[in-house]
Amino acid sequence: MFLTAEFGDAQAIAAAIGALKARGFEAGEIDVFSSEPVDLPDGLLERPSRMSLVAVGGAACLGLLAILFVHYAQHDYPLVTGGMPLFSWWATGVVFYEIAMFGAITATFLMFLLESGLLKRNGSAPTPVLAEGGIRLRVSCAPERAAATTECLYQTGAASVRKLENVP
Amino acid sequence: METAIEIRTDSLRSTLWRPLSGASRGYRWAVFLAFLLGAWGLACWGYQIVRGIGVAGIRRPTMWGFYLVDFVFWIGISHAGTLISAVLRLTGAGWRTPVTRAAEAITVFALMIGALFPIIHLGRPLIFYWLFPYPNSRLLWPNFRSPLLWDLTAISTYLIGSVIYLYLPMIPDLADLGQHASGWRGRLYRLLSIGWTGSDRQWHALERAMKQMAGTILAVAVSVHTVVAWDFAMAVAPMWHSSIFGPYFVAGAIFSGIAALLVVLAIIRKALHLEAYVQPIHFENLGKLLLLMSLLWFYFTVGENLTAWYGNSPAEMTVFGDRVRGRFAPYFWLMVFCNFVLPFVLLSNRWLRSVRTVTLSAVAVLIGMWLERYLIILPTLSHPRLAAATGFYSPTWVEISITASTFAAMVLFYLIFCKLFPIIAIWEYKHVSHR
Repeated sequence: MFLTAEFGDAQAIAAAIGALKARGFEAGEIDVFSSEPVDLPDGLLERPSRMSLVAVGGAACLGLLAILFVHYAQHDYPLVTGGMPLFSWWATGVVFYEIAMFGAITATFLMFLLESGLLKRNGSAPTPVLAEGGIRLRVSCAPERAAATTECLYQTGAASVRKLENVP
Repeated sequence: METAIEIRTDSLRSTLWRPLSGASRGYRWAVFLAFLLGAWGLACWGYQIVRGIGVAGIRRPTMWGFYLVDFVFWIGISHAGTLISAVLRLTGAGWRTPVTRAAEAITVFALMIGALFPIIHLGRPLIFYWLFPYPNSRLLWPNFRSPLLWDLTAISTYLIGSVIYLYLPMIPDLADLGQHASGWRGRLYRLLSIGWTGSDRQWHALERAMKQMAGTILAVAVSVHTVVAWDFAMAVAPMWHSSIFGPYFVAGAIFSGIAALLVVLAIIRKALHLEAYVQPIHFENLGKLLLLMSLLWFYFTVGENLTAWYGNSPAEMTVFGDRVRGRFAPYFWLMVFCNFVLPFVLLSNRWLRSVRTVTLSAVAVLIGMWLERYLIILPTLSHPRLAAATGFYSPTWVEISITASTFAAMVLFYLIFCKLFPIIAIWEYKHVSHR
């Protein structure tokens, strides 16, 4: 089950997250919903990311594919180049660079979709309704821990705590 | 000019959402006129396709005319958004928030317009897809060594990257709009917001992606205009074969990009009543940036011309002479006045710096930078190394119409964009203000 609590500011929500983690909740079980980014202390709610790594990988993969493709295309129908090499690194470097950058851009965008969970549609957790300027915390907990968790959230400054139903 | 930022977030949403509904008489007239001029341009292009490229003024030896001038000009303007916005984002400039989306939209529209010109310029534009990498009926692949292929890959990458860079920070605003709008608008916003809920995972991913995109897009933006410069510099033509052409073009592109951004900001500030958000400080800061780029442009221009003059090579001196004291001299000195003298006088004195003078300087720079592109291309082509081949170019009504219509297209795209999406990133403005 999920509990959701409304908070007035970032300090209160940071305190609530700290308290929940002290009670054994994992960062993956806690979510903060807001209409603008909430600045939390470093390391409080870590969201590990491989976006940079994948972007570099995307650039390397597409760059390499471009090199192989151009090499194949130039040899597939060898034009008369007057003794110059059929495949030239310098004259085609721009193409490889741009395709590598294209790889980095698409990889970044795909990783954004993946890491933000926007691609997940089925079985997603219920989302609390957000009031203008409000900050809401959602925590996934077992039914037997609900009462203690609710009390903990109120103690750290929650204005209200409600139960959220699972999406079928 | 006021130099303090007054933070206003109370009525931000209502102010920015107001232009999205209804259309004033002025708006409808502007759309109608821009559409009319744009349609005229399309008709002229159709006429050129039917009658052939001969209806344009390009003749031997000046095989590049207005179309290539426009191509370089619009690709330069496209540096307004992505590059400026990326630099401001990476340096954490807090005043950037009302500026970035307006700038990013310029990039996308300018690129769409600029990328059309090589196709308009083709003798047989209907087979432009031969540039795509697949073998033709004779099993020939495109020549990847050709700068035309460099342009294709560079501009395509930049356009896709710029669209993503414009789209990413729009997602939270689209989700917000989707909750409140109904009908087709509501459906459109909800579709584009792809299920955004505002969770911290999404904010983390968005901030990370935007930072990463800013870095990548900077590298692409610089490369794009360098590649455009190399279209010229790789030819062993007088006054083109220069090693500084890459940075010279990039500096010129940023220069004209800032000018375009200032003009757009001045118009939307007035038309959408955004005086509380697009404040004099934004014009002050961008005006200083414009002055810096003006000085840099002047440095490059002097360096480029002085070395040609000092070298005294006959081929280069012919082009140089025609440019500074021959047929092209009025354009050259007007360019110097617009790009350096006027901005320097108006922007270097803080008593003269105001929203009006900054905008005036920006308009002058746009004129000057178009002339600069003209003066880079035409004098060189008019004086090839073979002296007997000297010629002169004069544009026809078809080229002038198509050129004018691209400005109308820019206005039209922008008018539609402002009607569909908030022109300031609301969440980003509020977030930076709260910080």
